[in-house]
Amino acid sequence: MGGANSMKYFHNCHPVVMFSYLIGVIFITMFTMNPIFIGISFLCSISFTFMLFGAKETVKSLLLAMPMIIIIALTNPLFVHKGETVLFFLNNNPMTLEAMIYGLFAALMLVSVFYWFKCYNRLMTSDKFIYLFGQVIPKLALMLSMMLNFVPKFIKQFKAVDESQKAMGIYSGSSYTDKIKCKFRVLSSLITWSLENSIETADSMKARGYGLKGRTSYSVFPWKTSDKLLMSYFGVMIIIVTVGLFTGYADFDYYPKITRMSFEIIPILLYFGGFILMFTSTIMEIKENMLWHYLKSKI
Amino acid sequence: MALLEIKNLTFKYNGGKDNALEKVNLTVNEGEFVVICGESGCGKSTLLKMLKKQLAPAGEKTGEILYDGVEVDGLQERVSVAEIGYVMQNPDNQIVTDKVWHELAFGLESMGEKTDVIRRKVAEVSGFFGINSWYRKKTSELSGGQKQLVNLASIMVMNPRLLILDEPTSQLDPIGAMEFISTLQKINIELGMTVILVEHRLEDVFPIADKVVVMDKSNILMTDTPTNIGANLRKISTHKMNLAMPTAVRIFGQLDCDCACPITIKEGKNFLKRNFENKIRSIEVQTETNENKNVALEISEGYFRYERETPDVLNNLSLKVYENEFMCILGGNGSGKTTTLKILSGLKKLYKGKLRIWGKKIKEYKGTELYKNNISFLPQNPQTLFVRSTVIEDLMEVVEILKFDKEESQKLIDEISEKLEISHLHNQHPYDLSGGEQQKVAFAKILLTRPKIILLDEPTKGMDAYSKKSLAEIIYKLKSEGMTICMVTHDIEFAGEFADRCCMFFDGQIVSSAPPIEFFSTNTYYTTSAMRISRGFFDNSITTSMVVRLCKSNNRKSN
Repeated sequence: MGGANSMKYFHNCHPVVMFSYLIGVIFITMFTMNPIFIGISFLCSISFTFMLFGAKETVKSLLLAMPMIIIIALTNPLFVHKGETVLFFLNNNPMTLEAMIYGLFAALMLVSVFYWFKCYNRLMTSDKFIYLFGQVIPKLALMLSMMLNFVPKFIKQFKAVDESQKAMGIYSGSSYTDKIKCKFRVLSSLITWSLENSIETADSMKARGYGLKGRTSYSVFPWKTSDKLLMSYFGVMIIIVTVGLFTGYADFDYYPKITRMSFEIIPILLYFGGFILMFTSTIMEIKENMLWHYLKSKI
Repeated sequence: MALLEIKNLTFKYNGGKDNALEKVNLTVNEGEFVVICGESGCGKSTLLKMLKKQLAPAGEKTGEILYDGVEVDGLQERVSVAEIGYVMQNPDNQIVTDKVWHELAFGLESMGEKTDVIRRKVAEVSGFFGINSWYRKKTSELSGGQKQLVNLASIMVMNPRLLILDEPTSQLDPIGAMEFISTLQKINIELGMTVILVEHRLEDVFPIADKVVVMDKSNILMTDTPTNIGANLRKISTHKMNLAMPTAVRIFGQLDCDCACPITIKEGKNFLKRNFENKIRSIEVQTETNENKNVALEISEGYFRYERETPDVLNNLSLKVYENEFMCILGGNGSGKTTTLKILSGLKKLYKGKLRIWGKKIKEYKGTELYKNNISFLPQNPQTLFVRSTVIEDLMEVVEILKFDKEESQKLIDEISEKLEISHLHNQHPYDLSGGEQQKVAFAKILLTRPKIILLDEPTKGMDAYSKKSLAEIIYKLKSEGMTICMVTHDIEFAGEFADRCCMFFDGQIVSSAPPIEFFSTNTYYTTSAMRISRGFFDNSITTSMVVRLCKSNNRKSN
């Protein structure tokens, strides 16, 4: 953690803000097939990925994503034969332009969602995740936290037992079944080990009052003024865009014929709103970078 | 009034045969630093657990434990939770959550404190214990010493009046242990906190204790100031606990001078100067030479690293272990000692350099050849060797896999069990044994492979003085049978007393290697307590018994 994330605006803002924003954006992207919306989401997700991961990583992942988009676009007509504009016939099945374009945008939509999730994964560290859950189900959050503490311990012990057994010459049996048997024995001994040790953990919890009535849940994430402002801004924007999409202003059909783009005032405002919402994350990171450079130049 | 008063406490575990505690009486005043010592299994931990209602074991109890005038069983839950803090032995098992900050807040969350109260208290405690810089770290990434410090801080954050610690440093390396003890001293002196500490390593804690309690088989043998304890123990000089005392006390205990018992190194030095002449300055010792001996293990110009990008752990390491010697490898944390053992046992491979076992390259050993009748490795945690549900099954498994025939293997198991005195443990679960017993069973398990070379990784960790002595006896027994033993340890005193040769590991290589007397008498900082006490007064007396012998052979000063 640390280095890579520390100077990112979204890393330092309140988890609820970050979570609602990304989930909102992902949902909007998933529930529309409007090509302009998908295009906006695609570009914004990539620019945000660029801000969080840097150029090298972004280009690398794009090199993987691009062929995938092309393949989906090209193969969709093989399965879907709807659409009016027939390009050619393959095995007596019509390959249509509409199906191909639908495939292209469906692929773009998938890839954008993938990129948003990539950002989500980078920003949503375990403690933020636990905090979010803790707001709803405190017990579950504690359990998660305990599990995350237990897993590295378990792996460490597994390695230690494994090595000890190896140095006894017990693994050196040549056949695969022998090896699997040995690993299995190690695992079963680890279950005893973890039960044994969990008694002490339970004691340590009891000794610190676990089980008393009225347990609270502490977090290291304060609500800053900027978080509140950003949250209300995101809330309003997400609601506006969602309502706009649901009222059908940006509906778009691919079959049997591709809808003509309407350039009336309301759809244009809707596209603009969507763009502002999705591009805000990138803007915030750019702002943070500039601020940093400015402060540095002052030193 | 006393903060804690134990009157005639007798306790028997449910299903236990004998009383775990018998007629224990103890008074602890506010602000006192009390150290409880005694052999493993003498009831120290039971006594501590009885003091905290939430941890009290089930059993029959008579007598009283009064905390602030109230019987502990009758204390309000919240009072008992917050005011009586309890730190346990194992640093890992006490940690509940995955982040340091969450661990610190855990107790306060249980108490139902508000977020801003918790934030303030956690901040205060982090400052006091110097946790600030790793406040947001994962608990699994901390070192043992840091973990134990978090455990202590997560208790201190609840603002206790009485702090109880059960062997908190036994799993730590010497530096971590020393830091932990000095933090305890800081808490005691700067905050006036009442501390009850159970410890095996008394060298560091004796000087800071107000009161020492010596326990002996379920009851208290004596309770007094450290100085008086030293004087009183001398009167029963055959008692086992004499072994566990700090070096200065042990030297005093074997001489009959009528002065106050020295506790620290400084006092020990003064004690020698004031009471003895030093006309005879050293003991003649013959040292064996290794010249004509076979080389059992040899690493020449070895290099090793765990990953490609990480720095070398072993860096031009050259090492020889001769046949039938007991060699100790000493050195600080992370200097590559344990890695060396892993290389020697074939678990890891050098990326450059050669490893020869009995003059043969390690590659030339095929299959189980390396481990059968040749090398055995006893890991730091003996528990990692146990994979079955009884001791005998665990032992049987080895002979089955190494394919000894039935009769022979039964004989072998019996023979080894007898030698290590573990026959009576055969039907128990390995995890139910005490630390010392576990180690003996682990020893038995590796001896079943009939090794010629035994590698030991910090076997004295967490052991009391008496178990260390019996470990040394086992090692000597094996040596007399012709085995070669190579041991990695932090335990300077143990190496000084028992090893044939000591090696100092630093920065991935061995910087010095010599028989203990030569090794420790030329070191200034990294040396035994007896050497530090007698330096400049006697030459090359590195163990307590050598100092005592020299004192006895010199004349007493008349003062």
